[in-house]
Amino acid sequence: MIVRRVVTGVDERLDTTSFIRRNLRKVFPDHWSFMLGEVALYAFVLLVLTGIFLTFFFVASPEPVVYDGPYEALRGVEVSAAYDSVMRISFEVQAGLVMRQTHHWAALVFMGATIVHMFRVFFTGAFRRPRELSWMLGVLLFFTGIGAGFTGYSLPDDLLSGTGLRIIYSAVVGVPFVGPWAAFLFFGGEFPAPDLLSRIYILHVLLIPLAILGLLGGHLTLVWLQTHTQFRAPGRTEDTVTGTPVWPKFAVKATGLAFVTWAVCALLGGVAQINPVWLYGPFVPYSAPSPAQPDYYVGWLEGLLRIWPAWEFTIFGVTIASTFIPGAVVPGIVTGVLLLWPFIEAWATGDRAWHHFAQRPREAPVRTGIGAGGITFFTILMLAGSNDVLAYFLHIEVDGFNQLLRWSLPIAPVVVGLVTYRIVRDLHERDPQPIRRPQRSRVRRTATGGYEAEHEEMPTSRRAP
Amino acid sequence: MSDRQARLLTWVLRAGLIAAIVGQVAWSFRPSVGRAQTDEEALGRRLYQSGCITCHGVDGRGTELGPSLEDVGTASVDFYLSTGRMPLANPGDQADRRPPVYTDPQIAAIVAYLRPLVAGGPEIPEVDIAGADLSRGALIFLDNCAACHGAGAGGDSIGGGQIAPAVGGASPQQIVEAIRIGPGLMPRWGETTIEPADADAVAAYLVWLRDNADEGGLQLGRVGAVAEGLVAMVVGIGLILLVIRLTKAQP
Amino acid sequence: MNRPERPVAIALVASIVGALGLFVVYAMGGQPQLEGALLFVALGGLGVALMLWARGLMRSIADETQGRHGPASPSDVESATAAVEEGVDEIRRRRFLSRLLLAAAGALGLAALFPVRSLGGSPGDELATTAWRSGSRLTTIDGNPVSVEDLELESFVTVFPEDAIGSSDAQAVLIRVDPQLLELNDEQLAATVDGYLAYSKLCTHAGCPLGLYLAATHELRCPCHQSTFDVLDGGVPVYGPAARPLPQLPIEVGDDGFLRATGDFTDPVGPSFWNMPS
Repeated sequence: MIVRRVVTGVDERLDTTSFIRRNLRKVFPDHWSFMLGEVALYAFVLLVLTGIFLTFFFVASPEPVVYDGPYEALRGVEVSAAYDSVMRISFEVQAGLVMRQTHHWAALVFMGATIVHMFRVFFTGAFRRPRELSWMLGVLLFFTGIGAGFTGYSLPDDLLSGTGLRIIYSAVVGVPFVGPWAAFLFFGGEFPAPDLLSRIYILHVLLIPLAILGLLGGHLTLVWLQTHTQFRAPGRTEDTVTGTPVWPKFAVKATGLAFVTWAVCALLGGVAQINPVWLYGPFVPYSAPSPAQPDYYVGWLEGLLRIWPAWEFTIFGVTIASTFIPGAVVPGIVTGVLLLWPFIEAWATGDRAWHHFAQRPREAPVRTGIGAGGITFFTILMLAGSNDVLAYFLHIEVDGFNQLLRWSLPIAPVVVGLVTYRIVRDLHERDPQPIRRPQRSRVRRTATGGYEAEHEEMPTSRRAP
Repeated sequence: MSDRQARLLTWVLRAGLIAAIVGQVAWSFRPSVGRAQTDEEALGRRLYQSGCITCHGVDGRGTELGPSLEDVGTASVDFYLSTGRMPLANPGDQADRRPPVYTDPQIAAIVAYLRPLVAGGPEIPEVDIAGADLSRGALIFLDNCAACHGAGAGGDSIGGGQIAPAVGGASPQQIVEAIRIGPGLMPRWGETTIEPADADAVAAYLVWLRDNADEGGLQLGRVGAVAEGLVAMVVGIGLILLVIRLTKAQP
Repeated sequence: MNRPERPVAIALVASIVGALGLFVVYAMGGQPQLEGALLFVALGGLGVALMLWARGLMRSIADETQGRHGPASPSDVESATAAVEEGVDEIRRRRFLSRLLLAAAGALGLAALFPVRSLGGSPGDELATTAWRSGSRLTTIDGNPVSVEDLELESFVTVFPEDAIGSSDAQAVLIRVDPQLLELNDEQLAATVDGYLAYSKLCTHAGCPLGLYLAATHELRCPCHQSTFDVLDGGVPVYGPAARPLPQLPIEVGDDGFLRATGDFTDPVGPSFWNMPS
């Protein structure tokens, strides 16, 4: 009754009948791997909700105050108002610690889901024409997410995140010609400048979320308008899409997934400690803690800085700082390759046709090999970024480990890529058909007393005979 | 030889003999492992001779296998023995914390025996952590120790195959001893740079840290972002994927 | 309730129990681990219930096949492009004015950049200088000047100029070593006092404070990316990604027995920059 009245009321005023009818019936292909991007979306929603709660308590000010809260080990210590407010959220605001930790875990889950989703889209070729723009928006979302995470965990103004800020500052300073000028501009002066914290705050709660919303809006609208890719199956064609209608089935399933995502983030948020800023203490510019790592999705950049050789040279009086290549050039190349991949692949394969089918990774052995090589590259860098922690727990020597990683970085991705290419190509040659349903055999007794086996594909419904 | 030369020679020889005797006697009074005077020192000498002389020498002044113990301080002897770092089975090994080989009375005996030799270095400290200023200890720890031992005192590797160990299992006395003697690769701080009250505060903070500061839940080794990232991917994404797969469409 | 409905019902009941549990825990003052676990049950129960409902109970809703949009037809693309071009041409038609328009837009755009300039000043020589002056006493974070008898051998302490305690770029590390182990050249040696050496505490790679002093091997190591510097050899990098030696702070003993600097660091501190004076 109520539903009818609401819909009628809206429809009368906005003439939405055809819009509603068309879009509620719209279908989405149903494969488990298509749900990964959604997980990122729901994690983002949770980030906004928990984030709003946190903004009601956080104070984005570097002004010194004396901590006077329940955490004994820092009582009487001079800290910034920002740090003090985060301590208050963690130890005095009811449910504050759960909200804060859930917020941070949701950020990690958001980035993790984005990465896994990016892998899925890459290995199934779903970025090919006409979806190049979707892909680019997605890559931008990934990097904006890194920005969101980095600014976010720098807000408490603790010793660990402050050290991370200084590293970014140093990397900017090291850029030839514009470095010092750009660093002073963005950071508000020589590190640590008093304006820095409020700038990070506005970036984190306003500018970056707006950017993410915009990019997300574009990304989702494109998926909606262009329709989702699907795997090949009997009866499917390039010009049609088969799947679950949005209303009610897909919407219910998607809402369920949202709650599951929030449930996992909240579980981690309550049960697993994350970013315990009270252990690191307030930021002071003359100390640095260890282990000193950024959040894992920045780990590949950290690894680059750790294992890159100590190359610093002066050309025509211009000093190229040792952080420039690993800190700016290589990430720039990575970003460029990621962003432009659909066009690179189209140029390399000469394939400019429209594709709505998602490929199995084996259908594109070269791309799969390159992707495997790329993943190897990032894995080596992530290992490099955690080298001291790994060395401590695995009882190995950091210095030797670094050497191994340094040599692996140019070699291992190529080796893994080639091996993967060969394996995938062989798989493709042996099994070119689309994903089939499981087979079963019926064994029958023949009239003459022997046995006969019949193989067939299993039917769609378990209830079929 | 003339009479005068003979007298000169006699004088020189006598002086030389007296000097030699005096020198010998003086030499025997130099700081060295004590001649066992008390039962405790006798026990200490026996223990030293059975467990330590191979590397540290009969007189405690070292061999090719181990360093001299001269002026290392009673704090050093107590620290290494009570943390089980010594005796070291193989001279080339890194001295890691192990269950101590000697009991407390035995350690005290060895300390008593070695005291005359080692006395030039830091004494075993009197540590009182009750009423120590926890936040002062926290700040000093963060400024001086966290870079090697980890902000959560969970330990970290420091290069060259060495580690700065987690300090959770150390007693307050051992903590202050380590600050004073600088074992292994660790630097050391004397009583002017870190005053006794401050050293006690650091020990108090580390003891407090063992059972506190984990309000957020599982501490994940106090390692920070590396463990958090691993958990986020394996547990976080893993759990979500599991649910997706378990509730997948029935064919 | 039939059999397929049961798991959904169980999940929903669990969710309700979880939510009620949350009320109770919150009312009793809250406890993060319980809150997290109960949120997991409350949210997860609802989520799993919905997913099972959609996939298990809505089987009657069959998959459908719909058409996709293909590429727009050439005539449609042409008419869209033409519509846009018409508007652009109307402006471009008036050549002189449209060029002036472009100039005005460009000038305004440049002018709009100026508030951005207010975000931060020009670096000037800030990157190449610190607060150390000749005569500045080496002072610890507690405000105590360091005297020649203060440090043990193999000890180290963080020092600042007495008028800039806690300063980020002036921070220095004072170390005491056995003078016979030093491998410095004459100029560097003259900047030390009886085994006391001072270096900038900022790593020359990415600027992190060098918190690790490996006393037995006389090396300063950075916790960020493991750059390691040899204290005995003028702060030369011996491992890791740093390429530039640590700037040395020249020190002497004052008449009052306290250590003081004889000038600023020998080189710019922290990360290298493109126009670094060499």
